[in-house]
Amino acid sequence: MSLVSQRLSAFCILFALGAGIGLVPSSAAATVEEIALMNRADRQKVLIEGAKKEGKISWYTTLIVDQVVRPVKDAFEKEYPFLQVEFFRGNAERLVQKMLAEYQAKRYDVDIIDGTVSPTMVRRAGYLQRFYSPVLAEYPADLKDPQGYWGTTNLYFFATGYNTKMVKLNEIPKTYEDLLNPRWKGQMMWSTSRGSGAPIFVGTILNTMGQEAGKTYLQRLKAQNIAKSTASNRQVLDLTIAGEYPLALQIFNHHAYISKTAGAPVDWMPHEPVTATIQTIALAKNSPHPHAAMLLIDFAMSEKGQKVFQQSNYLPSHPKVPAKQIDLKPGGGKFKRAYYINPDAQYDKGNEWVDYFNNVFVKQ
Amino acid sequence: MAKQTSSGAYNLPIKSADTSAAPGVFRFRSLLRFDAATGVMIGVSLVTAYLVLPPLYSVIQTSLFTTKLTGEIDEFTFRYYQDLIRELQVVGPFLNTIYFSAGSALFATLLGGSIAWVVTRTDTPLRGLGYFTAFASFGTPFILYTIGWLLLLGKAGPVNFWLKTILDQPGPVINIYSLWGMIFIESLLWSPFVFLMLAAAFRSMDPSLEEASAVCGARVWQTMRRVSLRLMLPAFFSVVLLIFIRSFESFEIPALVGLPGDIRVLTTSIYLDAQKLPPRYGSAGAFSVLLMFVVAGTLYLYFRVTREGDRFHTITGKGYRPALIHLGRWRYLAGAGLLAYALVLLVLPFLIILWASLLPFYMQPSIEALSRFTAKNYVTAIHFPKITDSIKNSILLGLGSASAVMALTLLASWLLVRTKMRGRWLLDLLTTLPLLFPGIVMGLAILRFYLFVPIPVYGTLWILLIAFVTRYIPYGIRYTHSGLLQLHKELEEAAYTAGATWSNCMRRIVLPLVTPSFLGGWAFIFLLSAKELSMSVLLVSPQTPVVSVAIFELWENAQVGELAAFGVIWTVILVSIAVIYYLFARRYGVQQS
Repeated sequence: MSLVSQRLSAFCILFALGAGIGLVPSSAAATVEEIALMNRADRQKVLIEGAKKEGKISWYTTLIVDQVVRPVKDAFEKEYPFLQVEFFRGNAERLVQKMLAEYQAKRYDVDIIDGTVSPTMVRRAGYLQRFYSPVLAEYPADLKDPQGYWGTTNLYFFATGYNTKMVKLNEIPKTYEDLLNPRWKGQMMWSTSRGSGAPIFVGTILNTMGQEAGKTYLQRLKAQNIAKSTASNRQVLDLTIAGEYPLALQIFNHHAYISKTAGAPVDWMPHEPVTATIQTIALAKNSPHPHAAMLLIDFAMSEKGQKVFQQSNYLPSHPKVPAKQIDLKPGGGKFKRAYYINPDAQYDKGNEWVDYFNNVFVKQ
Repeated sequence: MAKQTSSGAYNLPIKSADTSAAPGVFRFRSLLRFDAATGVMIGVSLVTAYLVLPPLYSVIQTSLFTTKLTGEIDEFTFRYYQDLIRELQVVGPFLNTIYFSAGSALFATLLGGSIAWVVTRTDTPLRGLGYFTAFASFGTPFILYTIGWLLLLGKAGPVNFWLKTILDQPGPVINIYSLWGMIFIESLLWSPFVFLMLAAAFRSMDPSLEEASAVCGARVWQTMRRVSLRLMLPAFFSVVLLIFIRSFESFEIPALVGLPGDIRVLTTSIYLDAQKLPPRYGSAGAFSVLLMFVVAGTLYLYFRVTREGDRFHTITGKGYRPALIHLGRWRYLAGAGLLAYALVLLVLPFLIILWASLLPFYMQPSIEALSRFTAKNYVTAIHFPKITDSIKNSILLGLGSASAVMALTLLASWLLVRTKMRGRWLLDLLTTLPLLFPGIVMGLAILRFYLFVPIPVYGTLWILLIAFVTRYIPYGIRYTHSGLLQLHKELEEAAYTAGATWSNCMRRIVLPLVTPSFLGGWAFIFLLSAKELSMSVLLVSPQTPVVSVAIFELWENAQVGELAAFGVIWTVILVSIAVIYYLFARRYGVQQS
């Protein structure tokens, strides 16, 4: 009897162990890579189970907290009430420096990082994890990484902002060529910001007009004496609203739109092809909460999540989700062609554009 | 002119002070004190070295090595220095930098010094206004202040509009986007710093020297020029050195004011070239290493000049209570000057910021704009995430870093001024170096250091405190150093003779007598740290938000109105603190002198 019971208990222990071993690989012991690339029918269920144990997500973001990060956080937490989204906001450079320093010290706090170029920098350092998300299938090729390192949450389109009190209706520059009109000499301002100012204007021109024609154009533009400022393009636009400069080059079209709706004497005019940058979202290599992180990435790119971006006056990247103000996106009536600056191109070519801008427009 | 007599007279008392303190007396008086001095020297040097050396190492390393994308050191290179030398050979930006720094240092010293003299030494009405203006002006976030001036003096701004109308000119009369515009704004920004420092020095002036000059028939102006100002040499040196260096390496004003007008300085070139990926901080590092040599040389010379520190003692055992100079009718003019200063430094920029904060988008001041007033921007500002935590953290950090810096630098200055140890100037250099560290390099250095060193401060407020204390040591040392130089050692010697211990003497003699400098420095650092940006952005964690980072986020992305609303709230908070502090300081500081 005692022998039987002993065997029985031993069997029970073995069974429990076996069950434990059997359970472990399916969830807890899975690597970040396995979770990120998981592509099976019960993916959502596994992610939710894992996320329940993780409880939170740490998101390093370049998005504006008040405008969009909080709305996304709130909508996501409503969807998954057992998760808590923590975020750290910074500009691309600081964000990446912080993450790289942490990884060097083997401190893995971050789950998700976003930005127009920051994920690419982290990827080059080798600290990104490729991921699979069923939502990616809904996106066109130029809005996702072929290897699965990043997806897209929203888009930025650049335009010329003008003060409607200072610029007459028939004067509004419609094309890049129109900017060369002597009328605008000394009347334009742009930001020196690498990712959202003059350098990517240079990049667009060189890539869409061709090197030779582009350089000729830029040399002629140089003669227009465009005022430069290290302020962001939002401030450059505000100076135009204040009447300091009638034209603000390379500003975000939605900024001009927001100010215009508030009653400011300002509007925007696209020049085709319109420069566009894309806000990418990516998973950290040693994400401490990979299940929860994947749920957030899925959500941010899904139609439901994209509506949150839309309602926050951001320009959703999902092809089926239009902008709240429809003409801010291509095909919305105001412009058709956009030149999307791929994050890798911005990273690889950006230095050349910065140098070109400095040599031609700054050092005279 | 009674030149001959007065020049003979002002020399006399100083000479006698010289002879009263033979160099050997100090060491002899008390062995007990010597031990304390050694202990303090070791302690202060260790703390300072611990704070300053890691970032110093990092700055030098940054300037000599390329880094991999991950931040690891890659190859040794002189490239950054070669680039810098090439940059220096371009005459335009180099000369602009010199004009800008020298102009700002001179104009700020002149402005702040005049105000300090009027406030501390004359019977001008409205003197309290000087202090209020200085404290309150520190409260305004730096970037916002600059934007305020651009809106005021810009092409479409009200000043140009009125001038255009009055002078009947077709175009704008003032061009703020010019070298003069840069110097004007930079000097205004620094003048309160000069004011606080020189006010402390003026207040501790030995009146007997000035009285002697007056007795000999010298006029007020002559006395000031030949007696007062010469006695203040250390204080003047400190402010000119600090402002020159800060302007030399400053970036914001040249970028926001100079660049649109095509006025380039060295830092704008370095900044624009450094917009590379992966980020390169080598040029910034090389630039600051170069500046270090310049500053080391200057400090060494300065030390040789002030080695005979006795010449600058103005607080002696003979009792000091600087007499107020009666300006007669001129005092109304001086009072008007104070009002004008307050108006230009504080009221005008604040009003334009307040104006901007009440509008849905920026409009030039007009009656029409009044109808658009809205509280929307304030609603946005108040709903800024974790705003209460940010304010609490910033105030805590300000209190902590101001107190720690002033305590540390008071001891360091005491060592520099009182002891005769060789190589003291190295301690002075060490405490001045953080002034030259580029914010981002220093921030990264501290970030990496505490990620690797097993001291659990990463992600807490402590790492910010350490960074701030390191950053602001140079300001503390200049305040306490010039304050202590004025203090004659005979007072301390009297204490020791009466049997006081070292700590007793520090607490009951030295500290009360340097209170004006100490409090001035404390307030300055408190307010500076509330604004610190370049390191905070790297070192804060989601759990430890601070105000300046919130301002940075708004600066990068928000409309002027939202930034302005936030700035108004923050200014009101800081000014309230400043008023409380002022009342406190008046009780413990001003009444004693």
